[in-house]
Amino acid sequence: MNAGLRALVHVVVRRRRSVQLGVVVVALVVAAIIPQLGSSFYVSLTLSVLIYGLLAISLDVLAGYTGLISLGHASFLGVGAYGIAYALKIGLDPIPAIGYALVAVLVTALLFGLVAVRVRELTFVILTLALGQIVWGLAYRWVSVSGGDNGLPVPGRPSFGPFDFSADSSYYYLVLVVFVLCVLVMWLVVHSSFGLSLRGIRDNEARMRTLGYNVVVHKYLAFIISAMFGGVAGVLFAFYNLYVSPTMIDFAHNGTVVQMVVVGGLGTLWGPLVGAGVIVFFQQFVSIYVPRWETVLGVIFILTVLFARGGLWGGLANLGRWLRVRAGEPPTSGASTSQALTEVDAASGSGD
Amino acid sequence: MNGVTYAGLLFLLGSGFTLIFGLMRIVNLAHGSTYLVGGYIGYTVMAATNNFILALLAGAVSMGIFGVILERGLMRQVRGQPISELLLTMGVSFVMGDLALAIFGGNPLSVRMPGGLDKSTLIGPITYPNERFFILGVAIVVAVILYVVIGRTRAGAMIRAGVDDREMVDALGIPIKRVFTAVFILGTFLAGLAGVLGASLLTLYPGADSEILTYALVVVIVGGMGSLKGAVIGSLVVGLLDNYGKAYFPELAYFSLFAPMVLILLWRPQGLFGKSVA
Repeated sequence: MNAGLRALVHVVVRRRRSVQLGVVVVALVVAAIIPQLGSSFYVSLTLSVLIYGLLAISLDVLAGYTGLISLGHASFLGVGAYGIAYALKIGLDPIPAIGYALVAVLVTALLFGLVAVRVRELTFVILTLALGQIVWGLAYRWVSVSGGDNGLPVPGRPSFGPFDFSADSSYYYLVLVVFVLCVLVMWLVVHSSFGLSLRGIRDNEARMRTLGYNVVVHKYLAFIISAMFGGVAGVLFAFYNLYVSPTMIDFAHNGTVVQMVVVGGLGTLWGPLVGAGVIVFFQQFVSIYVPRWETVLGVIFILTVLFARGGLWGGLANLGRWLRVRAGEPPTSGASTSQALTEVDAASGSGD
Repeated sequence: MNGVTYAGLLFLLGSGFTLIFGLMRIVNLAHGSTYLVGGYIGYTVMAATNNFILALLAGAVSMGIFGVILERGLMRQVRGQPISELLLTMGVSFVMGDLALAIFGGNPLSVRMPGGLDKSTLIGPITYPNERFFILGVAIVVAVILYVVIGRTRAGAMIRAGVDDREMVDALGIPIKRVFTAVFILGTFLAGLAGVLGASLLTLYPGADSEILTYALVVVIVGGMGSLKGAVIGSLVVGLLDNYGKAYFPELAYFSLFAPMVLILLWRPQGLFGKSVA
């Protein structure tokens, strides 16, 4: 390693906080100038990444931080998006329509959560899968409301006062702002004492109960918070795609959200965004060149579960730790993300 | 009666699922894909030989072999880590679904049963297709065999003991790993069998895997995880509800499945015949 690189590593290692902040700022600046590059393809691609990233991050609040892996999370995207489409169909204005959609998501979350938090671990996964399939079934069969297989169109994007979001590039900034605000709120949630209790429940539910925590209420709140941000992603999706259909909430898409979280890295907020980036890249870019891209993605997913149990973000964290050790700093005792899947597994195993 | 036939198909699917879960705590999300691919293989053999029994065997046996590969090759790597096992089977189901689409295309396919089976019988005022009797018959035969094997034989005793206490069975010197593999094969074998039968009762198309998986899951949730008796009752409940639900509230067909599942979960979270895992 030459002296310059060594110095760089030193800076990265010693000023970790400021480096992290720097990365966030750079990412935001890059995100902000993307529409100025003039390629509508990249704007559309990044919009997908942001919306699915928001969905995946909201799932991780439940999956990574609370240990409850939901295979029905795309349902909340679906309820939010269908809520918008239906509200506009019955003649509401955009702002009341957004309210209507979010109330629909809240009601769904309140109901589903009531059932879902009664069970744990594998039963939770199966139950959420079944709930997700039911939402899909309603979207598919309840033709008079959902339009069935044909889906529902979303007539147009809203304009608020002087702001008109009908163009992709202007809508992009709205999505970016909403995304940043939502992630900020979720960051605050998972770093609050409430978030710490959630991790406590993930690691040892029985102990948390003994310590006097109301475990069920904590899980219920986590479920609703996670669902609400999923619903926000759904609202953004409806206005982005201008069309909603049952396909976007079928079993495969519910699985894809979990894939994003696991490939990116469970139990972090950035991991799912990275995972969403990788998977959207496959769906919209690799798919042009490789007809069996879904198989490739499936194999990547299997390999992640087998060998890279912290996901991509966990891999980066490991690299960071390795660099730190190389630079002569003792390993930190901070929470490791590199074995996130193992932690969730251990939590499930202990409950048997 | 249609509901009962469908229940027979669901039982074949649900029993394998519930045995694998009961013994190994594996939620096999590739179960629906196994059904679909088994059905496609049955379809191919049927098209080539026009021998339905051969098609049934081909679908079931090939999926049994697939079960060995899946269990020995992949599942064993993450043994005892329930969430990883589940995610792994999900990854496998994605790959299977995509490959099946590549090989068999997106058009719905179905198998016509040969001989007298594609005709109908008149019972009193209603005519009833023979193939449905056949499916129901197979389901009943499988149920009886499973009941006898699991309830009355030494291998069955090992399986039941494994469901109750894996560590103790292992400590007693019973080759629990081999029992795991055997049960896994049994599960995928039954799913393959159900696939070929399902190919004649319903149709095979991309997406049929997750649709049938949902039904199997509801069967198992209602009946109770790991219980064979639960699988029988669960598949009857789901088969009949689905049938009547579709007839009376076509738009809310899935809802009519969901409502009883929720009620049962609220009343007995472990399902009707499940053992309480507190």
